[in-house]
Amino acid sequence: MESLIQQIINGLSLGSVYALIAVGYSLVYSILLFSNFAHGGFLVTGGYICYYMLTLTNNNIWVAGALSLIGAGLSAIATERLAYKPIREKTNLTLYLLIASMGMSIVIENFWVIMAGGRFRALPPVIPTYPIRIGSITISFFDILVFLITIAFLTGLEFFLQRTRWGLAIRAAAYDLRVAGLMGVNVNKLISLVFFLAGLLAAVSGIFLSVRYTLYPQLGFITIKAFVAAVVGGLGSLRGAVIGSLILGTAEMLTAGFISSQLRDVVVFGALVVTLLFKPTGLLGKAISEKV
Amino acid sequence: MPTYIEGIIILTCINSIAAMGVSLLTGFTGIFTLGNAAYMAIGAYTTAILTMKHNLHWLPSVILGGLLAMAIAYLIGIPTLKLMGDYFAIASIGLGETVRLIIENWEPVTRGARGFPGIDSFTTLPVALTFFIILTWITFNLIKSNYGRAFKACRDDYLAASLLGFNTAKYRILSLSISALYCGIAGGLFAGFMTFLQPTMFDLQKSTELTAVVVFGGLGSLSGTILGTTIITLIIELFRPISQYRMLIYGAALVLVMIFRPEGLMGEKEILSLIRGMGRRGEHGRPT
Repeated sequence: MESLIQQIINGLSLGSVYALIAVGYSLVYSILLFSNFAHGGFLVTGGYICYYMLTLTNNNIWVAGALSLIGAGLSAIATERLAYKPIREKTNLTLYLLIASMGMSIVIENFWVIMAGGRFRALPPVIPTYPIRIGSITISFFDILVFLITIAFLTGLEFFLQRTRWGLAIRAAAYDLRVAGLMGVNVNKLISLVFFLAGLLAAVSGIFLSVRYTLYPQLGFITIKAFVAAVVGGLGSLRGAVIGSLILGTAEMLTAGFISSQLRDVVVFGALVVTLLFKPTGLLGKAISEKV
Repeated sequence: MPTYIEGIIILTCINSIAAMGVSLLTGFTGIFTLGNAAYMAIGAYTTAILTMKHNLHWLPSVILGGLLAMAIAYLIGIPTLKLMGDYFAIASIGLGETVRLIIENWEPVTRGARGFPGIDSFTTLPVALTFFIILTWITFNLIKSNYGRAFKACRDDYLAASLLGFNTAKYRILSLSISALYCGIAGGLFAGFMTFLQPTMFDLQKSTELTAVVVFGGLGSLSGTILGTTIITLIIELFRPISQYRMLIYGAALVLVMIFRPEGLMGEKEILSLIRGMGRRGEHGRPT
């Protein structure tokens, strides 16, 4: 019983890291209608900026964290400007954006292989990970911290989307980007803003993952599971992305804890196939059409 | 053992066979996949197990590997091909990763993550070229046949095709099965070329590469696919000395092609029709 509760808390913590990734990915998807495979690159960029800034600022996590979020956000804007903007101005086919995003994901990953080397790095112990006991249950302080910070960021995002003018513009663009443009929204600025938000959230998850596991250039691969979560929740729906992430994180940890840790990824992808078979648009999604 | 140049040619032939399968699926039927390396893995491991553990000759092993990949694709295709667009692409990532994980964890049969060593080196240059030429010939005829036209109808307008009485679901599953057959055969030949298999050889990166070369060559052009595969294989092999930068170059090349020539090298045209077009232009003295 105790281990069940522990695994569920572990799962919710992992799921909230997925949620940070999946929400950013979903946000981009809802505006441009393509799967941005370079999203993992933003996460890794955030992780490395945090790592290097920690050494520069003598382990001041607040400064390093803030610079990492801003840096990853800017790298996302740069990716959009360099690779996606020329394509989306030329054609409506999102397939080309998809392939370009795969190219960018390879470019960013190998940029960090060249700059930082391929080895695994651990962040200095700036975020407390000591265990705390509540009754007979032992949980990591870090897991609770991750969960709370994620809630704070997602609430902030929700507030931004619901209560500000730019948030309104983003919600309008999610319905129809072209019409939002016709109504006087500066579409290029709006897309940059969306990419900045996506990069920022990815950097938060990048820092968490670097603490939870270690930091290495291929860390961005974990975004695949967050994509799966976004699809299970319904592509383009932010609430769906959060719900899907929490479900998958919990399912993954329960499998690792009670069945076999090697099967955890199989369960994630199995959940994807089962969801798609019974509810192809995901739990809360809208229908999309063929792109080739 | 083949020499270095022979090795590159063999690898190009193998990659081309797999890419032709993906070309049929993505370029001609309009189904975007990111998991076809899984079918290569099935073909490769089947061939390795049949030749090493059951002492079967390599030729039937390779063909059985292809057929097994085809059968699995057929079974997977029935439920998943109901999905459209990005949903099938992401489902195919899931299936590809699942197959890789199963191979990695099924140690008694596949020897797990440490890899499968000591496979006979049967894929010589003549073998690879023969397979490549036969399969290319079959594919060119297939896309000119009724089936090829039905595939293109599914790609161009799924709804109109089904209204005209095409059983589009059947053609989509058929296209996936054939593409899995090609990838399975390519995987079997790959096993005989490398003589050593590891699950990570067939990861998402390999699937991405297969789809990328098809888009790079031009969706809906078979000769474009072969040309694209040759160029990408050469880039990856020739830049091996500066291995740190080669993946960076490969990624940047993908982005640049999408920006400057999104229709790919060949567009929808085939090399033969281009050459014929040039001849005609010569006769009349003006471009048509």
